[in-house]
Amino acid sequence: MTQTSPSVLSARGITKSFGGRAVLRGIDLDAQRGDVVTILGGSGSGKSTFLRCLNLLELPDAGTIEIAGTRAPLAHDRHGKARIANPKALNALRTKTAMVFQNFNLWSHMTVLDNVIAAPVHVHGVPRAQAVDRAHGLLEKVGMAGFAGHWPRQLSGGQQQRVAIARALATDPDLMLFDEPTSALDPERVREVLDLMRALAGEGRTMLIVTHEMAFARDVSSHVVHVRDGVIESMGPPALMFGPDASPVFRAFLSP
Amino acid sequence: MDAELSVPALLGLGADGWGWALMAGAGLTLAVALAAMAIGSMLGAALAAAEASRRVWLVRIAATYGLVMRGVPELLVVLLLYFGAPGMLAGVAGLFGLPAPGSPPAFLTGSLAIGLVSAAYQAEVFRGGMLAVPRGQIEAAMAAGMGPVARLRRVILPQVLHHVLPPLGNIWQFNLKDSALVSITGLAELMRVSLVAAGSTRRPFVFFAAAMVLYLILTSASSALFRMIERRGSRWAGGR
Amino acid sequence: MDFLGTTSLGLLRAVPVTVLLFLASALGASLVAAVLVAMQQARVTQGLARAWIFVFRGTPLLLQIFMVYYGIAALGPIRHGFLWPAFREPLFCAWLAMTCCCSAYIAEVLRGALGAIPVGQIEAALACGMGRWTRLRLIVAPQVLRLALPAYGNELVMMIKSTSLASSITVLDVTGVAQQVIAHSYRTLDVFCLAAAVYLGMTAALTAVLRRIERSLDPLGSAPR
Ligand SMILES: Nc1ncnc2c1ncn2[C@@H]1O[C@H](COP(=O)(O)OP(=O)(O)O)[C@@H](O)[C@H]1O
Ligand SMILES: [Mg+2]
Repeated sequence: MTQTSPSVLSARGITKSFGGRAVLRGIDLDAQRGDVVTILGGSGSGKSTFLRCLNLLELPDAGTIEIAGTRAPLAHDRHGKARIANPKALNALRTKTAMVFQNFNLWSHMTVLDNVIAAPVHVHGVPRAQAVDRAHGLLEKVGMAGFAGHWPRQLSGGQQQRVAIARALATDPDLMLFDEPTSALDPERVREVLDLMRALAGEGRTMLIVTHEMAFARDVSSHVVHVRDGVIESMGPPALMFGPDASPVFRAFLSP
Repeated sequence: MDAELSVPALLGLGADGWGWALMAGAGLTLAVALAAMAIGSMLGAALAAAEASRRVWLVRIAATYGLVMRGVPELLVVLLLYFGAPGMLAGVAGLFGLPAPGSPPAFLTGSLAIGLVSAAYQAEVFRGGMLAVPRGQIEAAMAAGMGPVARLRRVILPQVLHHVLPPLGNIWQFNLKDSALVSITGLAELMRVSLVAAGSTRRPFVFFAAAMVLYLILTSASSALFRMIERRGSRWAGGR
Repeated sequence: MDFLGTTSLGLLRAVPVTVLLFLASALGASLVAAVLVAMQQARVTQGLARAWIFVFRGTPLLLQIFMVYYGIAALGPIRHGFLWPAFREPLFCAWLAMTCCCSAYIAEVLRGALGAIPVGQIEAALACGMGRWTRLRLIVAPQVLRLALPAYGNELVMMIKSTSLASSITVLDVTGVAQQVIAHSYRTLDVFCLAAAVYLGMTAALTAVLRRIERSLDPLGSAPR
C-alpha cells in the first residue's frame, strides 16, 4: 500500500449474524486505489456475507463502511436492528461499487448489450448512444464483441461471466467485488475469466475477490486475506502469505 | 311476507330459520363435487392413458375431448346435459323399443356434467405426473432388483403423487365452485337453497352472504386437508 | 332461412356482448390484481389483499354475480343512491362481479411470477445501484410479464368461459341467446352445439393471440409452438 494512494475502501468492525448465529464477528479491511485484495477461506466462513455487506445487499449488524469517500448510510433502531438511513445515499454507494456473482445473474430477459448498458443508462443517466458505444468497447475488451445481440442463455458459463464483468465495468466503478467468479465454471472455462481479471488488475482496477484459485491469488493480489469463522485470521502480501512465515492456520488451510 | 325477521332468526335452526336447509344444501354441494371428482378421475385417467397410447385415433379423440371441454363454458355443458339428457335417454330407450324413461335425476346429470369437464383437466395432470419420474431412477430401481410392483409402489407412485396432488387440489376447488352451476337444474344444493331462501324472504343479501360463508368453509377446509396430505406424503421433497 | 342458419346468426350477433364483457372484465381484473399484488408488499395492506383473494377465490362466481345483482342492489343505500343506475344494469353487475373474482385469480398468478424471478437478478440490479422504480420498470415488470404470461393466458381463457354466467341474470350474451332460442324451439342439442362452437372459436382465437405474444416475447423460441 503506497502512502499516497487514496483510500477506496474502509470497513470497520463489521459484524453480522443470521438467526442468532454470528457469521461475521468484527472484520476490518482497507483497500487503496489499485489494490487487488483476494479473500480466501473455507466454505461457510463468511466471505460472501462480508462482500455482500460492503454494497449492503446484506445489512451489517454493526460497523462502518466507507467507499471512495461515501459512507454507508447505516442506522440502527432501539433494538440494534440495522436499517438503511437514506435510500438515496444507498444507491450512491452502490454506484461506486460493482459486483460479479458466482452464477453471473445476467438479466435473462435482456440481450448482452442491454445487460451492459442498463446501469449506465438507467442509473447514471448516460445518453443511450454513448452507453452503447462504450458497451461495444467493453464487450470487445472481454472478448465478447460479436455477442451484443445474444441472449444470456445462448452463452456458455464463461461467456456469461465475461459479459457480467463487462456489465460491472460499464459504470466505471471505484471498487469491484467478485464473489467466486469462476466457481460455477467448467475447468476449461476458468482460464478465460481469470485472464480477464488479471488484465483488469494490470490496469489498476481496485478489486476485492473471493476465490479458491490459489495460483491466481498468489500471482495477482496485492494483499491476501484469510477469513475463518467470521474473522480475519491473517493477512498480508502474497509473498508473506504463501511463504514459510505465513500463519500456521493459513498454511493448514492451503494444504489440508 | 314479513321481511323484518332478524338475521339470526333467518339463518337459525328454528321453524322460521333456513339454517338446516342451508347446511343440507352445503352437504349436497359436497356430494355433487365428490361425485364429479370421482367421475373426472376415472375418465381423466382413461384419457391420459389414451393420449399416452400409440394408437393415433385414440390420441386424437383424447386431445379433441380436452380441447372442447376446456374451451366451452361449464354452464353450457350443464345446460346441455340437463336439457338434452331426457331426449338422449328416450333415443337410447327407443332403440330397444322401450318407452321413454323421463328425466334422469338432477344429481346424476349435474355431477356428470361437472365430472366431464373435470376429466379434461385431470387428464392433463395425470399426463404430467407420468412424466415426473426421471428415467434413471426407474432404471436404478430395476438395477436394485425391484419388480414392477415394487417399482410402482416405492419409486413411481410417491413421486407422481407429489406432483399431482397440488394440481388435483386445485381441480377439486373448481369442482366445488362449479357445482353451483347445477343449481339451474333445480337440485337443492347450496346455491339453489340460498336462491330459494332469498326469494321467499326477500332478504337476498343475508342469504347470499350466508352461502358465501358456507362455500368458504368448504373450500378452505378442503384446501387445509389437501395441504396436510401433501405434507405427509412428501417429506422427502424437503417440505414446502 | 332454415333454423340452424337463423340460430347461428342470432348467436353471432350476441358475440359482441360476450366480447365486451370479457374485455372490460379482463382490463378491470388485471388492474385490480396489480393493486392487490402491490398491497401484498406492504405489511399494513397485506391483510386486506389476502382477505379479498380468499373470499373471491373461495366462492363460486355465480354466487358473486347473484350477490351483486340481487343482494347488493337490494340494499337501501344502493337502491336509493346515485349508483342505482349502474346496479340496475345486469351487464354492469356481471362486469363488477367478474372483475372482483378474476382479480383474485390474476393476483395469484402475478404473485407467483414475482416469486419466480431469480433472486440473483434482483441482486444484480441492486448491486449496480438501481432505485426501486428503475428496478421495477427494467427488471421486475418485464420478467413478471413474461413469467406470468402462460398462466395469465389460462386465466383469460377461463374468463371468456365465465362470461356465460352473465346469462343467469338476464344478460343476452351468447349463452343467453342460446337459452332463449331453446325456450322457443325446444331444439336443445343442435343449439347448444352451435353455441359451444362459437365459444370454441373465441377461446381458440384468444389462445392464438396469446401464443403470438408469448413467442414475440421469447425470441429464442423455447416457448411451445
Ligand atoms: N441469508 C442467510 N440466512 C441465513 N444464513 C445465512 C445467510 N447467508 C449466509 N448464511 C450463513 O452464513 C454462513 C456464511 O455464509 P457465506 O458468507 O455464504 O460463506 P462463504 O461465502 O464463506 O462460503 C453460512 O453458514 C451460511 O449458511
Ligand atoms: Mg460464498
